[in-house]
Amino acid sequence: MLPGARPRTAPKSTWARGLVRRLTPLTAIAAVFAIQAAAGAGPVLVFPLYLTIILLTALQLSRIDSLATAVLAAIGILIPSLVGTDQPADIAPAILLALVLMVSAVAITEVVRQGRDVAADTQRKADAVAASEERLRTMLEAAMVGLALADPGGRWIEVNDRLGMILGRTRDELIQMNLDDVTAENDRAALAEALVLLRSGDIVRWEAELNQLRADGTRVPVAIAITTASGHAPGESLLLVQETDISARRRVDGMRDCLVALRHVIVSGSPWEQAVPQLLSSLCAYLGWDLAQFWLADSGRQALRVRHFWHREAAGYEEFREQSRAMAIPMGFGLLGRVWQSGVVAALEDLSLPNDYERSDSARGAGLKSAIAFPLVESGVVVGVIELLGDHPRVVQDDEVTMLATVGVEIGQFIRRSDVAQALRRSEADHRAIFERSPIGIVRISSDGELVEANPAVLGMLAHDFEGMRENAWPDLLRAYDQAASRQRFAPLLAGITGGGSVQVRAATGAGKWLWLQLTATSIPDPNGRPEHLLVMIEDVTTVRETSDQLAEALESQRNANANLEKLDRTKTEFLSIVSHEFRTALTGIQGFSELIRDGGLEQDEVRAYGGYIFNDADRINRLIGDMLDLDRMESGRMGMRSGDVDINEVLSEAMARAGTAAATVEFKADLDPRLPIVAGDRDRLIQVVSNLVNNAIKYSPDGGTVTLSTRAEGGYALVSVTDTGLGIPPDEIGHVFERFRRVRSGAAQSIPGTGLGLTIVKQIVEMHGGKIWVESAVGHGSAFHFTIPLSVEDATPMQRRHA
Amino acid sequence: MPEPVNSGGSGLFTVLVADDNDVAQRLCKRVLEKAGYSVLIAADGLQAVDVAFSQHPSMILMDVAMPGIDGLEAMRRIKAEMPTMPIVIASAHSMASDRERFLAAGADNVLSKPFRLADLVSIVAKLAQDKKARDAQ
Repeated sequence: MLPGARPRTAPKSTWARGLVRRLTPLTAIAAVFAIQAAAGAGPVLVFPLYLTIILLTALQLSRIDSLATAVLAAIGILIPSLVGTDQPADIAPAILLALVLMVSAVAITEVVRQGRDVAADTQRKADAVAASEERLRTMLEAAMVGLALADPGGRWIEVNDRLGMILGRTRDELIQMNLDDVTAENDRAALAEALVLLRSGDIVRWEAELNQLRADGTRVPVAIAITTASGHAPGESLLLVQETDISARRRVDGMRDCLVALRHVIVSGSPWEQAVPQLLSSLCAYLGWDLAQFWLADSGRQALRVRHFWHREAAGYEEFREQSRAMAIPMGFGLLGRVWQSGVVAALEDLSLPNDYERSDSARGAGLKSAIAFPLVESGVVVGVIELLGDHPRVVQDDEVTMLATVGVEIGQFIRRSDVAQALRRSEADHRAIFERSPIGIVRISSDGELVEANPAVLGMLAHDFEGMRENAWPDLLRAYDQAASRQRFAPLLAGITGGGSVQVRAATGAGKWLWLQLTATSIPDPNGRPEHLLVMIEDVTTVRETSDQLAEALESQRNANANLEKLDRTKTEFLSIVSHEFRTALTGIQGFSELIRDGGLEQDEVRAYGGYIFNDADRINRLIGDMLDLDRMESGRMGMRSGDVDINEVLSEAMARAGTAAATVEFKADLDPRLPIVAGDRDRLIQVVSNLVNNAIKYSPDGGTVTLSTRAEGGYALVSVTDTGLGIPPDEIGHVFERFRRVRSGAAQSIPGTGLGLTIVKQIVEMHGGKIWVESAVGHGSAFHFTIPLSVEDATPMQRRHA
Repeated sequence: MPEPVNSGGSGLFTVLVADDNDVAQRLCKRVLEKAGYSVLIAADGLQAVDVAFSQHPSMILMDVAMPGIDGLEAMRRIKAEMPTMPIVIASAHSMASDRERFLAAGADNVLSKPFRLADLVSIVAKLAQDKKARDAQ
């Protein structure tokens, strides 16, 4: 009782009780005094009585009370002697006795006080021990910790209620048991080892977390601390065992770790089919379940079917698994059907009790004793159910239910996301495969025209690696595209292609081969509709193009052939027309003058003159026929060339000599290179060429002048020039002088005779020797005909040849 | 260069022979003069046009293949100024199509080279007769 709670009247009553107690010795003294007085007893006689009273007072009352009583008793002894006798002798014993009494009282009170102190001390000590024991007991019983004493072998000696609660047994039951008996089998070895160490004194304290067995067969995780303590008997040692039920902490930790593990799997981004077994194993491992199954509603939402299965490594689940696999659980049926229907977590804490579990028998057969199922929810729809089964009955806690409901939503969303992601990945993979394996080249271009990606087809096609493609080939292609596009009135590549338009461009590969490429561009817009990048399909259309080119070429050449045929036909007709005209013109004179001669009546001079005309024209016809036949043989390649060593300088000299007699009007000049090598050729034909040119020079120099013949070696050829200072060739005719019958007949040249075939023949002969012929001319200044004849391979000069 | 020669008085029937071939010139001149006509000579198309305009011949015997402008062009120019000027094309172009071509171009008659001398004379005589008939009217 606390001091403050004491009633206010209490001191008075104590005081009153003290007064009463103090009256007792007073009364006793008064009684003895009265007896003494009445009986006249001597001091010696009452002395023991007084002494007894003092003794009792000392025992019963305080020291002051005892001394006061002793004083009163001494007075009591003295008074009769003082009053009753006059004799000093009688007083002396009384005084002596009174003194003895006083001394005795002092001694008694001292002894009593000492005795009292000892007793009080003893009492106090006993009280303290009792209180301490009480407190300890209270503490022991009130402790949240299970406490026990055990002998070194682990046998319980004393246990508190808490330990009994933890282990689900009464104290009496436990006392009969051993620490080992309540420890889960797989923790026993560790425990035994610890006990050995504790007994040997190697350690004085052992702490661990282990599972213990409750009376109902369930396990309880505990934190255990065992300390060695001394017993009553010397040398006896005891074990102080402390245990804490950590199942709550374990469950909370388990749930937290479980959530962490589940989220780790969920965010890993694996497809849900791969992730689900990990989710199931995490659920079991962290929440202490033994088996988990993942059920998914089928597409028509007709039934749940098991899709994944996970269990701890243990035998005996096969039948259960088979039965589960064979089942299609309709909505509302059994535990899973209920969860599917209601969308809330449901549990069967003890499958041995009557229940609606769909696979009760096989679950029992598999040793499964509890089950919990939670819905997988996505957008408010239950898409599946996960069930967890345990090999022991268990009380499902609210927090676990809440946690599983949350997990169900997360997994439901995860499945949905994963499906979407997979669909995306598949689509991406499809596109990637198209990109990678397409036989058509595909490149991806950023909006600023940079090459971002190029598929193997295009790299192979253009024989570039990606870098080469990006640095060189693509910029060239881009330019080529834009040029080709502008020709087709398309927009440039970067100016908003919307898809469509193909262009064909010519491009060189890294291997230096030229290809025709067909480029088809498509812009891919970003979410805002702006072109984000471009795809350009690149096809090698070289073959197609070349085939079509070849076809076009073939058509063209056919057309040309036809045109040539037509031209040939026209040429032939024209030729015939020209030839017949030439012949008829010549024949006109022949026929006319011969008719005049035939008809007679002519002067002799006339006949001679007319005969001359006839002869000239007949000769002309003869030359014409000869030239035509020559030309025909040359053009058809039938004219054989007698090839031999020819000294060009000698040819020129010969031609000059032949012409010289006929041309008194012109002056010849020769500028011959004496070191001109011998050439291979037909000497007669080359003389024909030079003679023809020389004759032309003379013919077209009607007013005389100079004809210069020169030779020199130049670039592997003998260059021969015949230059005159005659009429010259008008510019519009100079291009035609080597054509047949194209005689220059304008102006002063019109009356100069000729077959019109001479230069054509000259050109043929020069070309048959592998040379060329050309002419430079200016009207009024003369003409210069040049031709070349290749030098012989053996580069010998005539001099060397002659001296060889 | 042969100059056009006035081979007769104004009362004579004058034939302009335009031909670049001097043998042909000589033949025609010899034959026509023998037959009593006056003969003028031109050696190419331009000369023929000049002589036609300056000398007003009674008719023209025109070769086709001549340097400068050819006989057909010369005929076109002359006919443009002198539509009634009789022009006979005398050409060594003597394919069947050529005859049609020359007539279509405006020729009054066509004489193919080589020709019989009588043919030349009869063509000229016919035209001279026509002229005489016109003059008589």
